[in-house]
Amino acid sequence: MDRSLFHITPSGAAGLIFAALAFAVLPALAGSFWMSVFTSAACFTMAAAGVGFMYARLGMVSLTQVGLMGVGGWVALRLNYLFDLPFEANLVLAALTTMVCGWLLALPALRMRGLYLALVTLMAAGGLEIIFATFQFPNGGAGFWGVKIGSTDPFRGPLLAQTPEAFLRYVIVMTTLGFLFIEAHRRTAPGRAWALIRRSEAAAMAAGVNVTLYKTWAFGIAGLLAGASGALLAASLGLLDDGTFRSSESIMLFALAVVGGARFWLGPVIAAFLYRVLPALLSSWGVNANLAYVIFGVGLLHALITAPNGIAGQIFDATRALSAKIRGPK
Amino acid sequence: MTRTSYLNWGLYVALMAATMLWLGWGKPLNITGMFITAGLAVGSLYALGGIGMVVLFRASGVLNFSSGAAGAAGAMTAWQLAQWGVWPPLTWAACILVALLITLAYGRFVAPLLAWRETAVKAVATLGFALILLGLVAFTWPDDPRAIELPTDSVGLSLLGLRVTGTRVMAFLASVLICLGIYVFLGRTEIGLQMRAVANDRDLSALLGIPIVRVETIAWGIAGLLAGFTGLMFANLIRLEPVVITFMVIPSIAAALSGRLDNLGLVLIGGLSMGVIESMLTLSPMLKGVRPIAPFVIAALVLLYNQRGSRLLFAGRS
Repeated sequence: MDRSLFHITPSGAAGLIFAALAFAVLPALAGSFWMSVFTSAACFTMAAAGVGFMYARLGMVSLTQVGLMGVGGWVALRLNYLFDLPFEANLVLAALTTMVCGWLLALPALRMRGLYLALVTLMAAGGLEIIFATFQFPNGGAGFWGVKIGSTDPFRGPLLAQTPEAFLRYVIVMTTLGFLFIEAHRRTAPGRAWALIRRSEAAAMAAGVNVTLYKTWAFGIAGLLAGASGALLAASLGLLDDGTFRSSESIMLFALAVVGGARFWLGPVIAAFLYRVLPALLSSWGVNANLAYVIFGVGLLHALITAPNGIAGQIFDATRALSAKIRGPK
Repeated sequence: MTRTSYLNWGLYVALMAATMLWLGWGKPLNITGMFITAGLAVGSLYALGGIGMVVLFRASGVLNFSSGAAGAAGAMTAWQLAQWGVWPPLTWAACILVALLITLAYGRFVAPLLAWRETAVKAVATLGFALILLGLVAFTWPDDPRAIELPTDSVGLSLLGLRVTGTRVMAFLASVLICLGIYVFLGRTEIGLQMRAVANDRDLSALLGIPIVRVETIAWGIAGLLAGFTGLMFANLIRLEPVVITFMVIPSIAAALSGRLDNLGLVLIGGLSMGVIESMLTLSPMLKGVRPIAPFVIAALVLLYNQRGSRLLFAGRS
């Protein structure tokens, strides 16, 4: 096994410490409202990690990520009411089904690049939005779509995490695993192939890299993470609403992943914070929710124009400069 | 135009006609006709949005997600002015003017800062601008049922025994005439020639002495005018709600895609057929619920069809 696979970089160490702190502190501090906000932010962190990874490693813009989360959530809910499987089995099946959807989405990606690829994924997001709005999410009813009017049947959460506090910890662990999953790929053969493809597809092909396979693979990983986060979101809420999975939300998540900084682990965390925690903060301060849009928009334009590596890039640059200053001139 | 592209046009039209025939089969003619006219009106709006998008994209490489938001800002201004009792034609002019100024401001001051980024990032940046506009508009005018009335609403035309409102006819005629007008403008005027040159190769055009900034500003101006007009029509024909008008850009992008972000005639045909099929899906008991999906499915199919036989190779298309 490659030794460098388990090498911990300073930034990676910071990430692990951050996850451990979040695991220990967040559930203890938050009340029931903030608990649900943080849980959904943790779910979206995983989804944002998927979309950010595709953009940073391959330059591919996917505008379907939140739609794919909806697919994962739908499958998890459907399985929950159909069979008596434990939550973990539903989670894995939902993630795998969404991964297959990611592959389907990758089919056009093999022939398109840049803007056209982004627009095809946007069309897929538009289609999913309408399917969710028409058929709704299963809540224990009969038939294929499993929707009934009135009260919702209970959703079986993970056995390990029956309380909201434990569930938040569970989601944080899962999200950290998602990050490690991406990082493991980055450090092995797929990562090297992606790096070469990002530089030049021609060079990658000439070097014998299977461009088709590795691009599809990246879509699969993004789909897997979206599916898992959708299933976790379903478990945290017990039911899903189609308004969560509009195509505009997918565009927003991509935009915020860019604002956060797609190349760093901190980027998706910032993206999810802006996406879920900031609007909650604003509404608890009595600020009109529409002004959150203005803040997002200004942040997005500012980040795109002045900081190509996003907020995370600025933070890491600042810490690097600071540590160089502390060490003093050589 | 080559023979293959004529074949493709023919194939597209035949497919659309077959779909409409299938959906309308066995239904009374006046009901089918009603859905077709309603669909043509909505389709004209998709096409108008798509035409604005394509003109701007070709000249500046920016896919403008903020055109819907600019239209929404214009439409809300028009509504506000009408509430204050301003003479109606002035309110309509204000709608178009507001959208024009907003779009020009972005094109002149923000877009150049991003000129060196990839097209997808430029498109996402316009989304940032759209969010700012949407936030401000929704903050200024909180959710409330509103409507914009046009004098053409009460004018009825009788076509083959069907009563069609003047606004619908106007939207349809406007989309056809604007498409023709822009086609002639690009083909016959000097600015149009320069615009085509810039679309072809920006750097080379600059070397030839084409005033890039002026040409791009004109393109943004056309996009702004179309955004304002589409916003006004949309507010009247469908709904006056900032969020709805803002995200109308997504089906407009579908229409633009059906013309490969390039061919205005195809955008018009694509937009109109998307509107008609979307409206006619109401006739199908099975597909009634998912009818707004039509533009996305059609656009995705057109894109996939256009990519057939091509391989992703060096230099690339994007």
